[in-house]
Amino acid sequence: MIIEHPLLGPRDAAEFVYLGDAAMIDRPDGMTVDDTGMHDYMYLRDNPAGDIRELWYHEQGDRSWLVVTRNTITHEITKVELARDVARRSGRSR
Amino acid sequence: MSQPNRIAGGQIDDKHALSFRWNGRNLTGYAGDTLASALLANGIRLVGRSFKYHRPRGIFSSGSEEPNALVQLREGAAQEPNTRATMVELFDGLVATSQNHRGALEWDLLAINDLISPLLSAGFYYKTFMWPKAFWEKLYEPVIRSAAGLGRLSELADPDIYDHGFLHCDLLVIGAGPAGLTAARAAARAGCRVILADEDFRMGGRLNAETHAVADMPGAEWASATCAELASMPNVRMMPRTTIYGAFDHGIYGGIERKTDHLVDSAGKPRQVLWRIMSKRALLCAGATERSIAFANNDRPGVMLAGGVRSYVNRYGVAPGQQVAVFTNNSDGLRTAADLEAKGIAVSAVIDARKGDAVIDTSGRKGLRSLRLNDGRKISADCLAVSGGWSPNVNLTCHHRGRPVWNDGIMGFVPAGDLPPGLSVAGAANGTMTLASVIAEAHDAAKMIACDLGHARGAGKAPTSSDETYEASAIWHVGGSQARAWVDLQNDVTTKDIKQSMEEGFQAVEHVKRYTTLGMATDQGKTSNTLGIAIMAAASGNAIPDTGTTVYRPPYTPVSIGAFAGRSRGKDFRPFRLTPSHEWALANGADFVETGMWLRAQWFKRPGEAGWRDSVDREVAMTRASVGICDVTTLGKIDIQGRDAAEFLNRVYSNPFLKLPVGKVRYGLMLREDGIVYDDGTCARLAETHYVMTTTTANAGTVFRKLEFARQCLWPDLDVHLISTTDGWAQFAVAGPNSRALLSKVVDSMDLSNEAFPFMACSECRVFGGTPARLFRISFSGELAYEIAVPARYGHAMMGALMQVGEEFNAVPYGTEALGVMRIEKGHAAGNELNGQTTAHMLGLGGMVSRKKDSIGSKLSERPEMIRDDGLRLVGFRPVDRTQMLSAGAHFLEKGAPADMAHDQGWMTSVAYSPELGHSIGIGYLKRGGERFGETVRAYSPVRNQDIMVEICSPHHIDPEGERQRG
Amino acid sequence: MADIKLTAATLSAVGDIDIAGNRIIIRDDLSLVSVATPLGGEDALKKTLTAAFGLNIPAATLSSTAKGMRAVSMAPDAMLLIFAHATPDAEMHVRAKLGGAGYTTDQTDSMLAIEVSGPATMAAMERICPLDLQHGSFGKNASGRTVMEHMAATIIALGDAHFLLLTASSSAKSFLHALEKSYRNVIS
Repeated sequence: MIIEHPLLGPRDAAEFVYLGDAAMIDRPDGMTVDDTGMHDYMYLRDNPAGDIRELWYHEQGDRSWLVVTRNTITHEITKVELARDVARRSGRSR
Repeated sequence: MSQPNRIAGGQIDDKHALSFRWNGRNLTGYAGDTLASALLANGIRLVGRSFKYHRPRGIFSSGSEEPNALVQLREGAAQEPNTRATMVELFDGLVATSQNHRGALEWDLLAINDLISPLLSAGFYYKTFMWPKAFWEKLYEPVIRSAAGLGRLSELADPDIYDHGFLHCDLLVIGAGPAGLTAARAAARAGCRVILADEDFRMGGRLNAETHAVADMPGAEWASATCAELASMPNVRMMPRTTIYGAFDHGIYGGIERKTDHLVDSAGKPRQVLWRIMSKRALLCAGATERSIAFANNDRPGVMLAGGVRSYVNRYGVAPGQQVAVFTNNSDGLRTAADLEAKGIAVSAVIDARKGDAVIDTSGRKGLRSLRLNDGRKISADCLAVSGGWSPNVNLTCHHRGRPVWNDGIMGFVPAGDLPPGLSVAGAANGTMTLASVIAEAHDAAKMIACDLGHARGAGKAPTSSDETYEASAIWHVGGSQARAWVDLQNDVTTKDIKQSMEEGFQAVEHVKRYTTLGMATDQGKTSNTLGIAIMAAASGNAIPDTGTTVYRPPYTPVSIGAFAGRSRGKDFRPFRLTPSHEWALANGADFVETGMWLRAQWFKRPGEAGWRDSVDREVAMTRASVGICDVTTLGKIDIQGRDAAEFLNRVYSNPFLKLPVGKVRYGLMLREDGIVYDDGTCARLAETHYVMTTTTANAGTVFRKLEFARQCLWPDLDVHLISTTDGWAQFAVAGPNSRALLSKVVDSMDLSNEAFPFMACSECRVFGGTPARLFRISFSGELAYEIAVPARYGHAMMGALMQVGEEFNAVPYGTEALGVMRIEKGHAAGNELNGQTTAHMLGLGGMVSRKKDSIGSKLSERPEMIRDDGLRLVGFRPVDRTQMLSAGAHFLEKGAPADMAHDQGWMTSVAYSPELGHSIGIGYLKRGGERFGETVRAYSPVRNQDIMVEICSPHHIDPEGERQRG
Repeated sequence: MADIKLTAATLSAVGDIDIAGNRIIIRDDLSLVSVATPLGGEDALKKTLTAAFGLNIPAATLSSTAKGMRAVSMAPDAMLLIFAHATPDAEMHVRAKLGGAGYTTDQTDSMLAIEVSGPATMAAMERICPLDLQHGSFGKNASGRTVMEHMAATIIALGDAHFLLLTASSSAKSFLHALEKSYRNVIS
C-alpha cells in the first residue's frame, strides 16, 4: 500500500501503524457523557463495504496521525488529511 | 563430447563451451544455452518422471511454463529441487540430476504406479486406502508419503544469502518481448523513468525464437539493438532474470531478480534480490503461453509445444528431433514446419486438426517413436510439435481479483476491464496475436502512458515489422483411443479425471481443480488450465465462458522462501538495542535476556556461583544490605513540554497531575479508554512547562503513539509537544540503604539529605565535576533508592564510575531477575499483572482514578463489573510449608473444592524466592483477596502437577509501611 | 573521588568504514537539538530562528542551512538543528539563543549521525531505504524520515550520492551493520 501523505507525498504503508475508524476522534467528554454515549464511542463501529475513514499513524515518519479515506472493496485511497485538521474541523480544540 | 543435435545458428556462442554434469554424465553446451537446450543438444530426451504415475517425461516447452523438466540443481546444501531446466541458464560446472524416481531414471521402480493407475484416479486419496482402518497410519500413509512429492529438499541450511530492496519508476514494463521492448523504448524516449523486467536472461521474448523481421532486420537483432539503446539511457533500468511475480496495491509490484543463479558460485553476494517496485503506471507485456491438445499418450518424451520446438531450432541451434511431425489446431503451428525445413530438419508430417486430421495415439516407451492418425496412418517421428493455440498470460491482471473474459477470436481468456489500477496490457497478453499489431498496440499504450505522466513528446514512431495471420480453432481433445490423454502434465491429470470429477459432482471449476489437482503445483497449470476448462465445458455441455476460470494469485512463478526472508536470518532477524552499560556488563559476567529489541543483563555471574539463583539471591541480598546498581535505561522516557503540558498529563493519567510541583515526581496510572489498566510509570516536573514521563520498557513505543493520538486528534489545540529521549539518557537505579552515601560522592555539591531531597524529589544536577545529570528519588525495589541519568554517551563511564565509588560500600550490579525479585517482594505490579484484563481496583489502586476530572478511561472504568467489591484483588501468598516453591499460573481453590472453573478463585501472577524472608513468595489475584489475609487456599497447578496450600498475605512482603524508601 | 571524570563512549572508536571507495563515517562531532514550535508561536519562532542562526524553518521535505547549522523537519511542528558542538550543552546553547520561542530537547545522545558517500551509495541505499532517492527526486538538502531494516531513520541529502543518516543510538550498531551489509551486497 502507498499512502499519499499530505505533507510528505507518497509513503509506503510499512512506515505506518493502523488504528481504525476515524470516529475515534470524536471522543465525548467523560464528565458530561452518559454511559451509553461513552460505550458507543468505545465499541460501536460501522463496517462498510465501500469508503471508510480510518486513522493511520506515521510512526516511522513525521509522527502525524492521518485520516485516510479508503475503499474497503478496492483498497483505493481517495483522500488523506492530517487528523489534527480533521479534529479541528469537527470542533475539537482544547 | 559431441552434441549430436546441435545445428548451426541461433543466439548461442559456440566459441564458448561450457561443461556440465547431468545424472553423473559429463556433457558440454554453449554460452547462451539453457540446461534444457543443452540436454536436447546432447540428445537427452528423458529428463524426469511424472508426479503420480512416474511416466517417462521429456522437455515440453522452452520457458517458465515448463511442467515436466523439473530437476534438482546443484549439490549438497545448495541443492534446489523442482528447478525448471528451461529456465536454468547454463554455466560451466553446472550439476543437475533428475528427480521423482526411485532407482535410475531409466528404470524407475515406482513406474508400477502407472500399471495400477485405475487405483490412483481423481480423488483417490479420498476414496482408496480406507480399509482396513488401522492400515492407514501404519502402512498406507508412510508409503504414500515416501512416494509423494516433487523433488527432495537437502534438509540443510541454505548456504546462500538473499537481499531485498526498493525501486521507483514512472512506468514498469513487464516482459521484454516485442511489445515490452517497443513500449519501453517509446516511454523512455519520451522521458519516463522506465524499469523493463523480463524473466529470461536474454531480452527479446518470442523475437529470439521466431524468424520475424522488425525494422527491416531479423527480430532478434532488432531486440538486441533496442536493448542496447535502452541500456544506454539514464532513465531506464534493464532487469533481465527478473520475474514480476505479483501486482499489489497502489502500483506496487513484487519482483524477484536472480543475481547469481547463472554463476557457479555466488561469491558471497546475494543469490536473489526481492524487489518492491513502486510504479506510477505499469504495462503488462507478458506475452502468451502455448497449450497442448489432449490425445492419447500425449505425454511421451519428444512431444513438445510447437513454439518450444521453434525456440530450440531458432534461438538455441538445437534440433529437438531428427524426424519431426507437427500437430496443430491453428495457423501458428504451421510455421514450425517451415522453420524446421529451413534448418534442414526432416518434417515427417503436418497434421492440421482444422482439416479433420488428428493424432489419436503415440508409441515409444521412453521417447516418442511413432504416431497413429485418425485416418489409420502410422507416422514415424521422434518429436511431435503440438500447438493447441495460445493463452494470453493474464495472471497479473487478475491479482486484484479481476476475472479474464473469453475471446472466441483467439480461443483464449483475455484481460477484462477490472485490472489493478495503473496497470495496462499490450500485445499477446492482451489477446493481440500478430507481430505488427502487437508492436502498434504496445507503442500506442506507452505513448498514452507517457502523455498521462506529463511526457507528451518524443516517443517516436513504432518500428515496422513483418506480420502474419493467426487463426485459432476450438479443437481441444481427440478421442478414438482408450488410452489416457493428458491435460495437466505436472499433476498427471487426464481427460478421464476431469470427466470423472464432473460425474462425481465436483463440477464447479474450483472444485474440479481441487478434486483432480488440475492446475496446481509449481507450474500452476500454465500449459493446462485453458485446455482443462475447455474439457470441463465439453463434459458439462456449457460454454467455456460459463465454465469460468480459477483465481490467479501471486506468485506468477515460484519464489524461494529464502528470498522472502531476505536478510532476516539468524542474528540479523531483527535489530538489537543495547543499553549504555552493555559493554561494561559484557565484561562483568552478565547473562543477557531479550526484552523486546533490548538486550538486558539479567544477572551478573561471579566465580563460584553454580546457577542463576545463586547470582540473583546474592544481588538481592547485597542490594538490600547495602547498595545495588541497575541499568534501567530501557524504561521509556518521553520529554513533554508546553504551556498545557500539565493539563495534558492530567487527561492521560487517571490520577491528578495539575498540582505536581516543579522538582517532584509522581507515580502515574494510565488506563485504556475502556477502563483497563494500560501502563504505569513516573512523571517528573523539571520546570514549569517541562516534564519527563517514564513508561514500562514494553510499552514505550505504544504509549508515545497514544499520547500523540491524544495530542493531535483529541485535543488539537493544547500546547504540548512530545519527543522520545529513551536513548538519550543512560539511567541507573541506585538502590539500598547506602545509596545516599554512594550518590553523595557522585553528584556535585548537592544536599541529598532526606529534608533537602525527599522521597519523590527530582532535580537536574551535575556529576563527577561537571557532567550534566538528572536525579530522581524513586524506588522500584522498596529500598531507599534513586535513579540517576547522564547523557547516554557517558553511560558506559558512569556505570564504571558508580561501581568504583561504590567499592567501599560493597556495591553490586544487579540485573532484571533481581529487579523482578525485589518488585515482587515489594508487591509492585508489572507485565505479569498488567495483562490487558486488569482494573485499577484489582491492583488496589481504585482510589487513584480521579472522579473529579475526565481522563482517558476514567468513565468506562466505573462500570459495575470493574469495581465490584467481591472481585479479584492483588494480594500476596506464601507457602504454608515454607520449604515449598510456588508456581506462577497456579489457580486458587477453596480447600476441598473441586478443581474446575466454577470454583476458580483466581491465579498466581508472579513468584520469586525471597532471600530476605528465606522462602518462596508470590503475588496474584484472588476473589475478595483484600479481606482474606491470614486465610489459606489451595494453589493448584495441573500443568506443573502441583497442589499446595498457601497463606494469603499483603502483597507488600517486605516493609509494608514503605519506611525504607522514605527514610 | 574527585579524580573521576566521565568520558564519552562513541561508536567512532569502531573506526570509519571504507568499502571499495565508499565511506561510512560516524559523525559524533555533530550535536542534535530538537525545537518544537509553540502552538500559535510560528511567526515568533521564525523571526527568532533567523535572528539567532540565520536559519529558515525547514519545509517538510527540504532542510535549510546557514552558517554551519542545518534545520531538518521532523514533524509538522518540530525540527532538528544539526551543528558541530563539542560539549554536552548544545541544548542550553540553543535554548539561550531562542529565549523561549521554541521548546528545545537535546537529541545528541538519542541519535547517531552517519555520513555515507561513494560510487555504490545509490545502489546500497536501494537495498534498505524505501524512499525514492534517484533522478532528482531527492536533491541536495532534501530530507525524510523513514524506516530502514525495522529501524527508524532520517535521511538528508548532502549532495549527489552523499547522505547524512540519523538513527536511534541504542540500535546504532545494528544499523551500521545493515548499512555495511548493503554496501557489501552491491559492490562487485
